[in-house]
Amino acid sequence: MKEDALWYEAAYVVGITNALNVVADGLPPDVLPPLAESAADVQTRAVIDEIRAFYGEVPAPFLTVARDPRYLSDLWAAVRHGFDEHRLTRRLKEALAFAVSLTSRSAFGTRLHLAQLRRLGVGEGGVMEVVGVAQMFSSYTKIADTLQLASDMGDIAPVDPTPAPGGRVARPSTGRPRRT
Amino acid sequence: MPTVRIRNASEYPEAAQKLFDLSKAWFAHDFADPPAMSRVMAWDPEFGGPHGRAMKRAMAPGEFTRAEKEMVAAVVSGANACRY
Repeated sequence: MKEDALWYEAAYVVGITNALNVVADGLPPDVLPPLAESAADVQTRAVIDEIRAFYGEVPAPFLTVARDPRYLSDLWAAVRHGFDEHRLTRRLKEALAFAVSLTSRSAFGTRLHLAQLRRLGVGEGGVMEVVGVAQMFSSYTKIADTLQLASDMGDIAPVDPTPAPGGRVARPSTGRPRRT
Repeated sequence: MPTVRIRNASEYPEAAQKLFDLSKAWFAHDFADPPAMSRVMAWDPEFGGPHGRAMKRAMAPGEFTRAEKEMVAAVVSGANACRY
């Protein structure tokens, strides 16, 4: 996991997972009713069908935001790209989303991503592995925060010198101070 | 600034030095000083010992690799807003 690209990809998964969880847990149907699929226009229905094909179900927050079809379309494009396999597998991405949802106490996200993990073939042992990691690091982090420990392990990872996708490698610094 | 004084490795008993060696091996990194968390967990081996074993069991390769689990651990730490 040395390349930054892997961590950008993981961060996108965490961010968009949280985005879905916020709407699902914060806006239950009695607060903001989801759009009835029968009321959706043709384009929105096409997006909903794509979501169903991806998950095997239509997670509630997509129907909640479907009242604005263009917003739904862009949100779905981001979610789809975030969870599609690039450098990380979909299976690992669902594990990350499950762990983040569990840690942030999202009942919606925990259920959705647990179901997705199982759908992708992860067994009970694998689920327990993710639960164990989430639980143990929820312990370490709170111990560190309670004692206000300063990070002393951040620099053990190597620095990735590669540029942003499509970009150029930065020239090495001359070490000269900048002119102000 | 820590709320407690994090003791130097030399202030720990012999048994803890073994834990610090295990910590080096776990991270595959030759720390000048054991990480603060290792020293915190070595304060009371009756807590730190089983906690460390549970962590190692959780992080051991299984259906997910150790590297994948390190990433899960990182996102959990992020979700807990922990900078350590």
